[in-house]
Amino acid sequence: MSLTLDALAIYKNNHLMLQVSTHIAAGMVTSVMGPSGVGKSTLLDAISGQLSRPFSMTGQVMVNGHAVQDMPAYQRQIGMLYQDPLLFEHLTVSDNIRFAIPKMQQKRLGREQVESFIAEQLNTVGLADIRHRAVQTLSGGQQARVALLRTLAANPQAVLLDEPFSKLDSTLRQQTREWVFAQLQERSLPALMVTHDIEDANSANGEIIEVSL
Amino acid sequence: MSGFHRFSIVMRMVFMCILIIPVFAGLIGVLMPAFGFFPALGENQISLQPFSQLLANDNVLSMSWLSLSTGLIATLLALMGALLLVAVFYQRAWLNRIQHLLSPLLVVPHAAAAIAFLFILSPSGWLARLFSGSDMNNPLPPDWAFPYDPYGLSIILALTLKELPFVFLMLLSTLSQPQLEIKVKGYLKVAQSLGYSQITAFMTIVVPMIYSHIRMPLLAVLAFATANVEVPLILGPNDPPTLAVAVLRWFNHVDLSMRFQASAAAVLQLLVTLTALACWWLAEQVIRKLSRHALLSGKRTWGDDVLTLLAVAVVFVYSVIALLLLASVYTWSVATYWPFPQLLPDGFTLMHWQTALRSLAVPLANSIILAFSVTVFAVVLVLLALEGELQMTKHMSAAMGRLDRSIMHITLYLPLLVPGVAFLFGLVWFQQMYFSHLTWVHLFVSHLIYVLPYVFISLAVAYRRMDPRYVKVAYGLGKTPITVFFAVKLPMLFGPIAVAFALGLAISFSQYLPTLLSAGGNIATVTTEAVAAASGSSRRLSAVYVVVQIIMPLCGFILAWWLPNVFFKPSLKANPKNQGIKVYESNP
Repeated sequence: MSLTLDALAIYKNNHLMLQVSTHIAAGMVTSVMGPSGVGKSTLLDAISGQLSRPFSMTGQVMVNGHAVQDMPAYQRQIGMLYQDPLLFEHLTVSDNIRFAIPKMQQKRLGREQVESFIAEQLNTVGLADIRHRAVQTLSGGQQARVALLRTLAANPQAVLLDEPFSKLDSTLRQQTREWVFAQLQERSLPALMVTHDIEDANSANGEIIEVSL
Repeated sequence: MSGFHRFSIVMRMVFMCILIIPVFAGLIGVLMPAFGFFPALGENQISLQPFSQLLANDNVLSMSWLSLSTGLIATLLALMGALLLVAVFYQRAWLNRIQHLLSPLLVVPHAAAAIAFLFILSPSGWLARLFSGSDMNNPLPPDWAFPYDPYGLSIILALTLKELPFVFLMLLSTLSQPQLEIKVKGYLKVAQSLGYSQITAFMTIVVPMIYSHIRMPLLAVLAFATANVEVPLILGPNDPPTLAVAVLRWFNHVDLSMRFQASAAAVLQLLVTLTALACWWLAEQVIRKLSRHALLSGKRTWGDDVLTLLAVAVVFVYSVIALLLLASVYTWSVATYWPFPQLLPDGFTLMHWQTALRSLAVPLANSIILAFSVTVFAVVLVLLALEGELQMTKHMSAAMGRLDRSIMHITLYLPLLVPGVAFLFGLVWFQQMYFSHLTWVHLFVSHLIYVLPYVFISLAVAYRRMDPRYVKVAYGLGKTPITVFFAVKLPMLFGPIAVAFALGLAISFSQYLPTLLSAGGNIATVTTEAVAAASGSSRRLSAVYVVVQIIMPLCGFILAWWLPNVFFKPSLKANPKNQGIKVYESNP
């Protein structure tokens, strides 16, 4: 798996904001750093297919070597992870994950298998006993873990991280960070992370792209 | 763009058309007979005959003046009262209590409130029984002017009572918009650190800031107050009545040729309402010019004690009136023989309830079927229209986006600003001419015109405020736009949808004129029956009708607060702070 940005340029009202070319191999995390307002989150919107006015883009986004920039967002198989876990509050913990599992896969596995798959996933992060809880009752660290499990359950081909750890306090931050990177590596997923924190970038162990105004 | 998104954009167009077309068709349908053109009655010539006929009527001026003055005064009083309450009680514990006191009054239909007023103001009402000085030896009711006083004071009273909660809740909901709330609280702190009292700071800094947000709804209130039919019909003078009531009478006159005069009067009503709006606009300009000096004079307190006292008095009077209205209606509904000037009837009985509920069965069923079908349609259409707006504005330039917003804004307020008496008659004329057998459809459309704007305004804020990242996450999980709409957006908005639904029901329940006209009197609802009963037969029966009218919308709102906690909130306690009636949010 890989994620490639080929001369991807972002424009605001037709003025160039930034341009990025990079290749992210399977299991690697590339970091994008720079001051606020430089268009880092907009870059992620462009890659995932969510760009809206006044922004526009040129260049290519390739997932596994296939150009996806003309596809709608939901067909690109690019998972998103934000600083807020954004779990759906009308669903329980396990239903949040079930929501992410593709329909085909749910059909193939059958109800019980899906159930046990979810339980297994939650078990790996020590959350098996809270799977029927409302998501709002979870701690910040727990929510962050469920959010990643949800993203991964959709079988993405690449993952975008938008300041994913900035809301966590320092100890939790380090733990969560290590765990997230380990998960991404284990599944050989290419990832692009936007961050303010040089420690995030350092521990990601991948290329660091600096953008400036 | 996906098929679903295209569909939602089309639905947004449909939404706008439903608001625009009937109003314009109705206006044309009134203008033509107003200028003497009405082929159905054999008149094919354009002439000013209807207007000269109307102007020959001695009372035209006084009727117009009555409409204009009652509307302007009631709106002004409602605005001042609401501003006073918010200024004095903002950021105080009392604000919540007052909100709870006023919210239920908002959903009481105008007709019901007017009938309840009729009960206490009339010579056999509680006020007369308490203060007339009559006793057993002199059992004659007082000879006072109320409730049909020639100056329309009763109308002003009832309209103010009904509009004040509306303006008040509108102010609160404007103040609760996140970005605005932060700003307002910050400004208040700064002003107070400069030595301004809280109330003065609110009046001088916050009011000018939030006025633009409540302006459109306020103008809608004004337009409504100048052209409303049921309140002056029930409480107003008979000779001459307000213009809107006169229009209704002339339209329903056995002599069909009176329709020309009625149409001309409807056009005049339009002018009266426009005059009221112009007066308001003028007053805004004058106040803006004159207040500049006062706002910057450096005065730190502006009679805070007096204002506080006044605000407490408003709350007190309000509570007393509300209680009195409720108690009076309820007592009449169960009263047996009740001679004057006894304070209580001789005995109590449920007989009137039994009689009334039997005769109300069909109107009640009609009301509920109509309200449900209209509201379901409205909520679905509004949700799709909001989705369409999101998809459409995504790819618009900033200038186009602004233009689109203003067009939507005007469209939404069109049916609320153009008086019902001015366009509904014209609409009825079209309906009778081309689709005379589709009574239910006409009724449906005429209610929809009034339900749609409120449902839209009430849902729009929640829809636009929803964190777009939830949607991005869902797309990242590979979900199609239609799945995202149904499985993510709608459940997340369940609370606001439930409130909008209850609001839609309440608006539909309360419609008097649209029901009366579109159905040509063939389909009765609880509201039309209540108004009919108020002017006639039995006070006790109409008391029962009023109680039913009050209970119906309240049931809707109670369900709206309760249901979201049952569905879609797994094992989570309700958050009571989010449950006030957020009916109205300005700047849609």
